Amino acid sequence: MKKLFDLLKKTFKGLDIGLREVSTSLIEKELEEIENIFALLTMGTFAGIPSPPTGIILRILPFMQKEIFVMIKRSKSLDDAFAETAGMFDID
Amino acid sequence: MDIYFFLGKGGVGKTTISASFSVGLAHYNKNKKFLIASLDPAHNLGDAFDIELSNKIKKITDNLFAIEVDLEKMIKEYLNDLATNMRNTYKYLSSFNLDRYFDILRYSPGIEEYAVLESIKKFLNSKDYDGLIFDTPPTGITTRVLALPRLTLLWSKRLMNIRRKILDRRKMVENVKGKTEAIIEDEVITLTSDEKEDQIMIELVKYNKEMEDLMNIFQSSLTKINIVTMPEDLALFETKRIIESLNNFDIKVNNIYLNKYLICDNPPEVIKGKIIEQDRVTEKMRNEIKNINIKDIPLLSQSPRGIEELIKFYDNYLMI
Repeated sequence: MKKLFDLLKKTFKGLDIGLREVSTSLIEKELEEIENIFALLTMGTFAGIPSPPTGIILRILPFMQKEIFVMIKRSKSLDDAFAETAGMFDID
Repeated sequence: MDIYFFLGKGGVGKTTISASFSVGLAHYNKNKKFLIASLDPAHNLGDAFDIELSNKIKKITDNLFAIEVDLEKMIKEYLNDLATNMRNTYKYLSSFNLDRYFDILRYSPGIEEYAVLESIKKFLNSKDYDGLIFDTPPTGITTRVLALPRLTLLWSKRLMNIRRKILDRRKMVENVKGKTEAIIEDEVITLTSDEKEDQIMIELVKYNKEMEDLMNIFQSSLTKINIVTMPEDLALFETKRIIESLNNFDIKVNNIYLNKYLICDNPPEVIKGKIIEQDRVTEKMRNEIKNINIKDIPLLSQSPRGIEELIKFYDNYLMI
């Protein structure tokens, strides 16, 4: 009985995690995209993208590690952007 | 606090006029304290006073102080502090080549304007003086510096909106899955969705406020913009451009000093053309530029140097 109860508990927990993942995956993707845009806008000066006045960049630069990380990660996967989008929408 | 900016292209006599103006102002307002700061990378304010000046504030008269701001040093120190700060916060990002980015930043467009603005901000915040006089770098940089607060505001508002979107999305994810965490090079960082805790948002809001205050000061009647120019066609075009570009940012020009005005009863043949040009430009300037005081300052046989001569110059040509 206890074993069955544990199994059910595990199953529901797994289901809960799965559903939570599904429900937030699109928002997380969007979040990552906006973070990437934010990084590109503020760090774009290094890549020739029109950038805000240097003062703003210098002020927020020390706190940009997450955005820079996302930007670098995104730029690495740019050549496979189509596969990424397809994966996102479960297209095989 | 009154703020006086002296603008103009190189070689028109900005330094002499601003130095003389500061000496005169201090001389006739003994109960007030003034500071004149040279923001021009090619300093010669000390030459006008005939006193050696440096990056440290020096007493010139009882109530007048002067400084030649070392912008190079300021940029270097600022970037060094920033690099140290970033080395601590970016310890997770070892693959991010920090030194390379700093090399680029040093030469990134706008860094000089940023340093000039920071320097102006520092003096405005000091509250030690009743009046500030700025001898500025050549026109291009100065007009950009004066326009910078308004431009920065446009950008910071946009960036704050994007940042808000990021924090909103983070909050949504957080509501379902708990605090958002990022794994950067095997280190786990917990990310906030609260505007009051997000360091980037805090900096943006803070900088936005600083720029708003500066913009209000630049647009207020406390700021007096003085253009120093010469009675020549090219100088007239430039003066009109300065007025126009500052007007675009709601900054009003108060005075135009028409310096090195040739006064000669029987001009020799070689300078006759120059005098014709001078008369034509002066007339055009007075016709085309309304609501701004235009003062003629004659070409002197010798430029004034030292406190005594600068006071005399103020009495003769600058006193309002």
